[in-house]
Parts: sequence; C-alpha cells; structure tokens
Amino acid sequence: MDTILEVKHLKVAFRTTGGTLKAVRDISFDLKKGKTLAIVGESGSGKSVTSRAIMGILAGNAIVEGGEIFFDGKDLMHISENEMQKIRGDKISMIFQDPLSSLNPIVQIGPQITEATLLKNRTSRHEAKREFNSMLSELKSNMKAAAPAEDQAKIDQAVDELNRFISEATRMESKFNASMENVQAAAIAIDDIKYRVGKAPVDLKSSLHKVTEKLKRVNDPFAIGKNQTALDECRQTLDRLAQTGEKLGEGKDVALPEKTEAALDSASALLRGILNEERPDFVAISYYLQHHPHEQLSQLPVQQLNAETEQALDAGFMQSFYEKMEKGVAYSENKALENKRKILPKLKAEMEYYRGEFTHRDALRRSRELSKDVKGCIDRLEVNKDNAAYAFDSSMTGAINRFFYVKAHNPKEEARFARQSARRSRLIARGKNVTWKVVPKNVYDLEDLRGNITNIVSRLDEHFTESVNSESRADLHARCLNIMDYLKKRASQMVARVTKTMARERALQLMEEVGINNPRERFNQYPFEFSGGMRQRIVIAIALAADPDILICDEPTTALDVTIQAQILELINKLKAERNLSIIFITHDLGVVANMADDIAVMYAGKIVEYGTAEEVFYAPAHPYTWALLASMPDLETKEKLEAIPGTPPNMIYPPKGDAFADRNRYAMQIDFEQQPPEFPVSDTHWAATWLLHPYAPKSEPPKAVTERIAKMKARLEEQAHA
Amino acid sequence: MPNQNEEVLLRVEHLCQYFKSTKAVDDISFDIKKGEVFGLVGESGCGKTTTGRSIIKLYDITSGNIYFKGKRIAAGTLSYKEAIKKAREEMKSASPDRQAELKGLIDEQRQLMKEAKHDHKHCDQMYADEIAKEVAAKYEPLLAAAPDAEKPELKKRYLDEMRVAKKQRFITQIQMIFQDPIASLDPRKTVYETIAEGLVIRGEKDKKVIDDKVYSVLETVGLVREHASRYPHEFSGGQRQRIGVARAVVMNPEMIIADEPVSALDVSIQAQVINLLNDLRHQLGLTILFIAHDLSVVKYFSDRIGVMYYGKMVELATSDELFAHPLHPYTQSLLSAIPLPDPLYERQRVRIKYDPLSAHDYSEEKPTLREIAPGHFVSCNTREYEAYLAQMKAKP
Repeated sequence: MDTILEVKHLKVAFRTTGGTLKAVRDISFDLKKGKTLAIVGESGSGKSVTSRAIMGILAGNAIVEGGEIFFDGKDLMHISENEMQKIRGDKISMIFQDPLSSLNPIVQIGPQITEATLLKNRTSRHEAKREFNSMLSELKSNMKAAAPAEDQAKIDQAVDELNRFISEATRMESKFNASMENVQAAAIAIDDIKYRVGKAPVDLKSSLHKVTEKLKRVNDPFAIGKNQTALDECRQTLDRLAQTGEKLGEGKDVALPEKTEAALDSASALLRGILNEERPDFVAISYYLQHHPHEQLSQLPVQQLNAETEQALDAGFMQSFYEKMEKGVAYSENKALENKRKILPKLKAEMEYYRGEFTHRDALRRSRELSKDVKGCIDRLEVNKDNAAYAFDSSMTGAINRFFYVKAHNPKEEARFARQSARRSRLIARGKNVTWKVVPKNVYDLEDLRGNITNIVSRLDEHFTESVNSESRADLHARCLNIMDYLKKRASQMVARVTKTMARERALQLMEEVGINNPRERFNQYPFEFSGGMRQRIVIAIALAADPDILICDEPTTALDVTIQAQILELINKLKAERNLSIIFITHDLGVVANMADDIAVMYAGKIVEYGTAEEVFYAPAHPYTWALLASMPDLETKEKLEAIPGTPPNMIYPPKGDAFADRNRYAMQIDFEQQPPEFPVSDTHWAATWLLHPYAPKSEPPKAVTERIAKMKARLEEQAHA
Repeated sequence: MPNQNEEVLLRVEHLCQYFKSTKAVDDISFDIKKGEVFGLVGESGCGKTTTGRSIIKLYDITSGNIYFKGKRIAAGTLSYKEAIKKAREEMKSASPDRQAELKGLIDEQRQLMKEAKHDHKHCDQMYADEIAKEVAAKYEPLLAAAPDAEKPELKKRYLDEMRVAKKQRFITQIQMIFQDPIASLDPRKTVYETIAEGLVIRGEKDKKVIDDKVYSVLETVGLVREHASRYPHEFSGGQRQRIGVARAVVMNPEMIIADEPVSALDVSIQAQVINLLNDLRHQLGLTILFIAHDLSVVKYFSDRIGVMYYGKMVELATSDELFAHPLHPYTQSLLSAIPLPDPLYERQRVRIKYDPLSAHDYSEEKPTLREIAPGHFVSCNTREYEAYLAQMKAKP
C-alpha cells in the first residue's frame, strides 16, 4: 500500500500571553492511499492543529517546534508559501467545521465552486510540461549511462523518436480537446435553452444560432468519428429552426415549439454520445500515423483503434525500448543504492558533528554539502518520490536556522524577563500599586532543537539503511510501465484546458454528486439561501472541485443533525471509493467514525495515545482514555448513570510530566504521574501509550459499560454470521 | 424510571407559529406531565426550537393555547379570525335563520378572541395580583392584631413582601437552557452577575439572600464559590454550560426547557452535563422539555419522545415504545441514521430514506395524530391507521 502523506515527529506550540502552549507534542502517522485515518479527541487535544499544519494554515502565533510533514517529495513544514499554494486546495483540500464561516457570504456559490478548477488550470499545464521534460531527460541520461559506447547513438535516436511522437500526440490531442470543448459547449447551450424556457424570456433565433456556431467549430476527425453526417444534419436542422426562431416570453404555459424540442433532444443525445465516447490513445495513434501517414484512422470505433495502434506501437517500438529502458532504470537504482551505501558512514559522522559545538555558517555549509550527497542517492526515475531524501535539504536548513534563532533569542528573552521582574518588585517595594503582570518567559529548550537536527539525519540514516538492506526490488518491467504512464499522463495534462463553461458544467455535476437538487437553479444563489446541511455539501463540493489527492475533514458533521450527518458521511465514503481519495477525518465523536475509518488515532493533550485499525480500537481498546470516551457516550440500551470523564484536560502551557491523562484516570498508577509511557504494541497495527500494558502492570479491565457493549457487539456479529 | 405522576404540568393545544408565510410550527399538541422529561427530536429547521421558544413566550404565538399549571399563559388568535372570516363568507348567501345563527357564532368567536388576547397579555399580571392578594390576606389580620410598638416593623415587612409579590412573573417558573454556552452568556458579566440577574429583576434586594442562593446553586451544578467572580471566557465548554444551568435553576423553576444543551459539547463533557441534568431533575423534582437531535442522548434521558417533521408532530410515544416500534416512516428513517460505535455493524447499516411524497398518499384524506397503542400517537390517515394497527398486532 502506498503511503501518500507522512507526518514525522510533529511538534507545534502557540505563543500566548500566558506562556507557550504546547498544542501538538511529537506525533507521527502515515496516511495510506485510498484509506481513511480518523483522528479522535476532545477539543484542545491538538487534532485541528495537526490538520492545519498539514494545510499550512496555522495561526500567526504558532511555532513549529520540530518535525516534518512529507508529501510528494516535499517537506510541507519547510517550503515557501508560493510552493505551498500549489499544494493547498489542489493536492490537499480541507472541509471545515463551520460551513457558514468557510463560505464567502457575498459571492454566489457557483463561482466559489469553479474558482479552484479555473485557478488550477494554467499552473498545472506548466507544471506538467516541466515534469515531463525533466523525467524524459533523466531517463535519457540514465539509459545512456547504462549502455555501452556503441549504443549511445541508438539510444539518442530512440528517445528522440519517443519524444517526437509524444509531442505529435499532444498536438493532436490539443486539437481534439478544442473540438470536444465545442461539443461540450454546444451541449451546455442546449441544456441552458431547455432550462430557461418559461422561467425567463428566450430568443430562440440567437440561442439556436449560438449552438450552431459551436457545432461549426467541431472539426477534429477523431472527435467527429463516424458522426460526420449526423452532426451535419443536426446543424442544418438547428440552422433552419434558428431562421424561423421566435421570441418566447415568460410564464408557466410557455413551452418550446414541438419541432424545436425534438431537434434539441436529438442533438443533445448525439453530443452526449460523443462526449461519453472513450478517449483515443493519441500516443499510439501518432506513432502509427508516422509509419502509415496516409491511413484514415478516424472512422474506426475507438476501442478497435486503440487496440490496433497500441499493438503496433508495442511491436514496433516499445518492446525494444523497454529493454533499453529496463537497463537504464536498473542502472539508476543501483547507482542510488551505491551512493546510499557510501553516504551511510558520512551520516553517522554528521550526527556526531551536530551533537557537538558548531557555528551557524559552518553548520549551514556542511548541511548543504551533505544535501548534495543525499541528492545523489535519489533514484530520480522513481515515480513515488522518496520523501525523506527529497526534502532533506529544506528540513535541515529549517531546523538549523531555527536552532540559531532560538540560541540568539533565549538570552534576550531571559534578560527581558529579569528586567521586567526587577522593575515590578522595585515598584512593589516602593509601595506602589502594581496592576500589570510580568509577561511570562518564552524560552525554548535548545537541546530539543538540537535533537530536531540530529533526528532528521538519523531518520534519513535509518531510512537508507533499510533500503540498502532490503532484499526485495521492484519488478523492473512494472517500473518501466509506471514511468511510461507517468509520461503519457503529463503529456496529456500539458494540453488539458478548462474553460469557464466547462468548469461550470463540472461544478453542476459536482453539486449533483454531493446531493444538491436543482443545481442549475442553486448555482447562482448565495450561501445564506441554503440550510446548514446544504452549505456543508457546498463546502464539500468546493473541496472536491480541484480533484485533490487528500481530503481533510475537520469535524464536518458536528454542526449537523443525524439524518444529514448520515447523508454527508455516506457521500464522503462514496467519493472516497470513486476517486481513490485519502481522507483524514477529525472528530470528537467515536460513533461517527465507526463506518468511516480504516485506521483510528486517539489523541489526548497533543499526543497520540492509541493507534490501530477501526476494529481493534472499537473491539479491543487498550488505553484508559479510549475506554473513558467509549463509556461516556450513551447508546440505545444505556440505562445506568453515564461514566463521565472527571475534570478537564490539562493546561498545555504547563504540560504534565508524566502521562497527561493520569489526573483524570481511575486506573492511574504512580508511574503515570512521573514518566511518560512509551508506545506499547498490542498487535502489528495497534499500539497504545499507557503503562497498563507494561508486563509488570496489574491486569485491569475496561469499565463495565465498555466490556458489556463489546460483548453485545460480538454477540450480534455471531448472530449475523449464523443467520 | 417511568414517571408515575399523571398531573399535567404543561399543555400545548394546536400550537401554530408562523413567520410570515413560513409555517415553522403547524398545529401541534402535547401534554407534559409533572416530573417527566419530554424529548423533542427532529432535523434542524423542523420547528423544535421554535416550539420551545413559543412556550416560554419569546414569540407571540400565531394560534393555539398553552396552559401551564392549568392557567393559560399564551394564546394565539389566528384560529378565531379564520372562523369569523369563514362565517362572514357564508353569511353573504345564507338564509335569515342561518344568518342569525352565524351572527351568534361570530360574537362568540370575538369574545373568545378577546379572552385569549387578555390571557396572553395579562397572565403574569393576574398571577402577581393573586400573590399580592395572598400576601395581603396574610398580613392584614396580623397588622390589625399586632401591638402598636411592632406595627412599623411589621408594616415594613408587609410592604417589602408586597413589592416582591407585585414583581412576580408567572412565566419565570419556566426557564430555558440554550444550545451554545458561549453565545448565551454575557461576556462582560461575571458568573455571579449572570446568575443573580434574574433574582434582581424579580425584586430581590437583600444582598445576603442573593449571595446564599447564587453560591448554593453554584454548588448544586458542580462549580465552586470561587468561580462566582470569574468571567465566562475563563471556563471550559462544560463549565460554561453548567453556568447556563445554574442561571436557569436559581429561579427555582418548575420546568426547564433545555434547547440542545449538549450538542455543542465534546462527547466526554456531554456526559457530565447529562448526568448533572439527571441529578437536578431528581433533586429538585424538575420537569424538562429536552430538545435535541442526538437520538442516543434523547433515548437515554427522556421518558416520552415527540418526533417532529417540518413543523408537525409525526409520532409521540414513550421512549422505549418509540424505539421498539417506530411506526411513522420518518421516525424509522431517523432511527436508522443513528451512528453506533461498532465498525462492522456500521459498514452494513442500511439507512432508510424518507421521502414524504412517495411515503404517503394524502390526496384523499389529510393525516391527523391518532393513538395506535396506549400512549403511542402517530400522524396518519384512516388507511395508514389501519395498516399501523395491523403492524402493531403482528409484532409481539
């Protein structure tokens, strides 16, 4: 299973007037592709802060004390705002708790939904071009390096040929796209006419003329396919109707003339048919056309066309190319491995260096040099990027800069504190009435920050050692196919264009997908015209508009009632399955996540206290806090007094020394107040940070309410299994 | 624990609350017995909060009557107006005999409307007068019999009590707890001021009495004396909601309307507040109208439950009965949406969807609230009524 997002030892604090509030204290987790991770905890446990850190929208008084968040070869904690902007909303998107405050009240919802799609449009074309070129040149240089001297020219030739027919393919695709845009625009225009009749005055002459204008511009042979005559006929009919077209007024009884309606219906059906057709594989077609320049391919059915040309491409070019490519890929991988082996001792030495004394400039210089070597260890032909190595430079620089900033800042802060306290005590000694308080000291632990630097190195060291020692190598042929797919995808992204009408059509589709009835009518309404559940759906539609890889849901249903909550949860689940979304689902209600989550992380006071699959956490909870959460919620059979968790969460300005939950925990032992528990594994996928799991700890059972409920659930499961 | 008391504390008859053309609450009727917890559930916008607010007279109701302890505290006039209008229409084409009859009817309706308006406006005044009369009856003979030396002292006490009595408001015997503890507390008032405000308005001037009451109520809701001088922002969510409860309880109410008191709270704190309300209910013998959308909580807390949908009451039964035999399709859909902390069960759960247009055929006959089993009411027409009866018989 691919990991799409890695959070490593994240620590976030907030500067407040009362002191530094430790909101997130060293949490790590991985998010797998296509899975849902639920983060559960009370307010103030740091779950929202975690999600905001991932999105890069922490409040201004936030301090990232350490840790990295890896996504797509980047460390999100240490990249510039410009880079972050490309990721935020596009690759990672978020649904906020309060739908009213996350919508712009003075903009209609339509533009709010299409905004992301249109913004993404241009940048992603440039991005795709850049990525395509760099991957191709990387491939070429590796293949050349792997081949003997006499084959160099052949490889140049082969790669050039590949580049040539892919470029030709993008040209053809661009033309195809332009025609398809017109087809879609015509279909949309027809829908608009049908929708507007009766509701507003319609001038049939100009409206139909608009449709025929669009149809005239459909000229790509692949877009038309076998529909040439049908399209012509359709256009002529509409043209005729346009000439005699009348002006329709407003009112309930106004309807389209019968003939026009029939013509529009058949035109709409034709256009939708063209739109729903499978896309031709242009890379294969352009290769085929290079060798058979005079063949008319556009008349073939798309499946047959794709199959035949792909076969020709495979036989004529790809098979021999893959052979060379495999060598190149293997070469690149081996080179990276070799470099990794070489760098390992260096990393150990570097760790020693950062444990000792060092100056800012010296440290930066060394880290730059090291980063250069680390870059050499990256297998650039890897489609799934090796996050730790890619982001090493930015992580190191960030950590070192922070270390030296704090080193300079701490004495200043100490001096300020001493000065202010002295002044205050002087005034008091003089008998003055002092109403102000001394602002608390805001100093950081230098050793902690030094630890951050060494941690980055040691984690990379572990990571490299692991990959050097691991026996399994990915299947070379499969990797080649992956790279080819990557190239093809980037090539077609280069010419993928989204026009305003297309964005609108997509938004309407999305609105329908998220369960908003009458999207055409709703499109131009303002947020206040929607009920709470509907607003939340719009927020979801906005989050999905840019087709993100990761969706973060921050208590999306807390403000909603049961029926709407159930609908929204079903919707998110459905979209997850359809788009292979990875979801981080944040909530305080364990009941909600039962049907959503694959994995659950229970957070308390800025730490993850229990982590496991949904089944494990619900059927075999191990941490007393999870027990307490489960026991405090009534179910339909509860009759006894609820077991509320006594007290309140600890003040995180002064985080407790031992287990943060100890004060409210009936099972707390002496050691809970003195020392923080490590993560005790329960199974391969399940761990909990509680001393109760220590072999020397007394055996303790969850509260009765929880054990009974689990027994009941198990009984019900068995009953079902029998039935 | 089922409620054995049969005395009706609050009766709502044909309550309608229209906002312009929106029928927020449309003709609902129910009784709340003394000492019970009556739950109102339904999706947002179905009128449950409006019902609560109408009962406490935050709105002037459009039509219907609300009786509290046998006295009419709120009344609307729309039903009378409509009756008069209808009679007038009929009058245009009626025979002379019928006309006289209709005239009588109109006069009768007018009289009723006048009474309703009077009750709605003056119920507090009448209550205050009554208490004042009682005070007078208590002191007049004492005054007459007392020796001259004690008279000024006695007179002062008499006048004091009289002043307090005249400021009594009947409606303060119903108090409300609001959903959002942050929005419902004045950020510029200390907890003490917030809680004491009601007492002061009611005419309490004795600082010592107010102190005693405020401190004791703080302890009742699980806060301590020291909290009195703090401001709302210094408290956690659960504590803030406790302040809201204290503010309601200090007025010594007979009944509390709790409008989603736990919806804005974390699960762990919800349990604290629910336990608190449960304790108070037994200690003080409170009657509670509990408005919420979390069905597990409502089931746990309420004796009887009314299910509302778009301003109408669709089903009303004791909580066990409602969850054991939900009859109305909307109730069924509501119950099927409750999330449970059981992943394997949840993944198989099938939610029943409710679509009023396809679920009912009300073209021939409009639905009314009918009793299917003792204490179990469902909104249905005759055909559905028979179907529900058969359904009840088939089930054990």
